[in-house]
Amino acid sequence: MTETAQDSANGANGAKEGDPIVLCRDVVKRFGDFTALDAVSTEVRVGEVVCIVGPSGGGKSTFLRMINGLEGIDGGEIVVDGIHLPGGKKDIQNVRREVGMVFQSFNLFMHMSVRQNLILAPMTARGLGRKEADDRAERLLERVGIGDQIDKYPSQLSGGQQQRVAIARALAMEPRVMLFDEPTSALDPEMIKEVLDVMRELAESGMTMLVVTHEMGFAREVAGRVLFMADGQILVDAPPERFFSEAEDERQANFLSKIL
Amino acid sequence: MSFDVNIILRYYPELLGGAWVAVWITAVSLVCSSAVGAVVCIGRLQKHGAASRLATAYIDLFRATPEIVLIIWVFYCLPLLFDVRIGRYGCAIIALSAYGGAYMAEIFRAGVQAVPRGQIEAANALGIPIFHIVRRVIVPPAIGWMMPALVNFLTELLKATSLLALIGVAELIFVASTLGSKTFAYMEFYTAIAVIYFMIIFPLSVYARRAEQRRLRRTGN
Ligand SMILES: Nc1ncnc2c1ncn2[C@@H]1O[C@H](COP(=O)(O)OP(=O)(O)OP(=O)(O)O)[C@@H](O)[C@H]1O
Ligand SMILES: [Mg+2]
Repeated sequence: MTETAQDSANGANGAKEGDPIVLCRDVVKRFGDFTALDAVSTEVRVGEVVCIVGPSGGGKSTFLRMINGLEGIDGGEIVVDGIHLPGGKKDIQNVRREVGMVFQSFNLFMHMSVRQNLILAPMTARGLGRKEADDRAERLLERVGIGDQIDKYPSQLSGGQQQRVAIARALAMEPRVMLFDEPTSALDPEMIKEVLDVMRELAESGMTMLVVTHEMGFAREVAGRVLFMADGQILVDAPPERFFSEAEDERQANFLSKIL
Repeated sequence: MSFDVNIILRYYPELLGGAWVAVWITAVSLVCSSAVGAVVCIGRLQKHGAASRLATAYIDLFRATPEIVLIIWVFYCLPLLFDVRIGRYGCAIIALSAYGGAYMAEIFRAGVQAVPRGQIEAANALGIPIFHIVRRVIVPPAIGWMMPALVNFLTELLKATSLLALIGVAELIFVASTLGSKTFAYMEFYTAIAVIYFMIIFPLSVYARRAEQRRLRRTGN
């Protein structure tokens, strides 16, 4: 893939600090007759950290999964760094290279060592050489604090360590946006902090992040904005100070009273 | 009752010849079974449509037919129906591969479905091209999952070659009974082939067990 091809009509255009990098316009998602996302519109700027909260089934995961093309779009559009979705296979591939994703259940490749987990995508999707990919893997594992585990297999690591590997694996593609879908929900309490610390460091480094989470402390501290999603809509979009002090929606108040 | 080891030693080239026939028919049938199985498995993985129904019917038919019936049918009936001369070795391979294909299809299907969806999703999210997803993310753990079943099938196939004596294929049973009727040393020859079967199959089972343990240690599932 040459730069010129990528920069053509529908390609990554290198948004700068403060520019919008994820744009959603009236995004609709249906599963059969059921509307999971009902005309969702929002905008995320480079370097922003947006936390998404809300009741189960509200469409949070679906929303994240649409931003990197894991779910098709039934209406409206999503623009990621100049790449328009819905689009062709190439567009989806390009978006996925710009957007990293971290799952609740880690989803590491269990038959591969940590190192192999980290070098596979850069070598096959970015065309990196082995040496370069190895260096990058080592550097990223240092960064998430488990440089000494590089030749282990995921099953030999704790849940917290596995999730940090998953974060490093996504970062190895050098994405411009990171999506997190309840990254700490599957972890034992004593391991939640080590993962949140890594995410906090990532936010401070200027990464654009969309985080679905139940960790209200994290949202309050790290998020620039908090979105409240229910029934397939974004009902509230507010900075954390306001989001947690004065509810502007009845369901938000209800949700907050349960969770705080 | 005496056991004459010398008579076994005297006829060991014939016995080894029988073992060789059993082994190569097993090997060729394994390859053909895999090919048939892969095609049937792809049909079976479709959610609906003619291919799916055809594949299911194939599996049901051949799993419900005793191998021995299949072997005899292919040898005696198939040539009459289609007016072709296939030869006993050809018939042996056709019968075993048709039967094996049904088993291999199910083994493949279990292997592919055993790869957690989440891992495929993560690979997609990373933007890994589909070719590499299949080769690096789906196939290796699928093979790991299938190994015990595959080795089990291989030993079943080898044991099934003993039925081919019925259509005159010179495998171990055929050789042992021929030598037996010639020398009346039935006990010696049937014991000898029991040992030969064991020596081929036992290492396979040990290998399968080790491979499974290694996989479990690594992936923990
Ligand atoms: N593949 C699918 N097929 C059918 N319905 C689906 C599918 N995926 C999600 N849904 C439905 O869409 C709605 C939104 O699901 P989603 O997983 O996005 O919710 P969520 O906000 O992430 O909930 P949770 O907090 O439980 O993870 C739910 O009602 C769910 O049942
Ligand atoms: Mg969810």
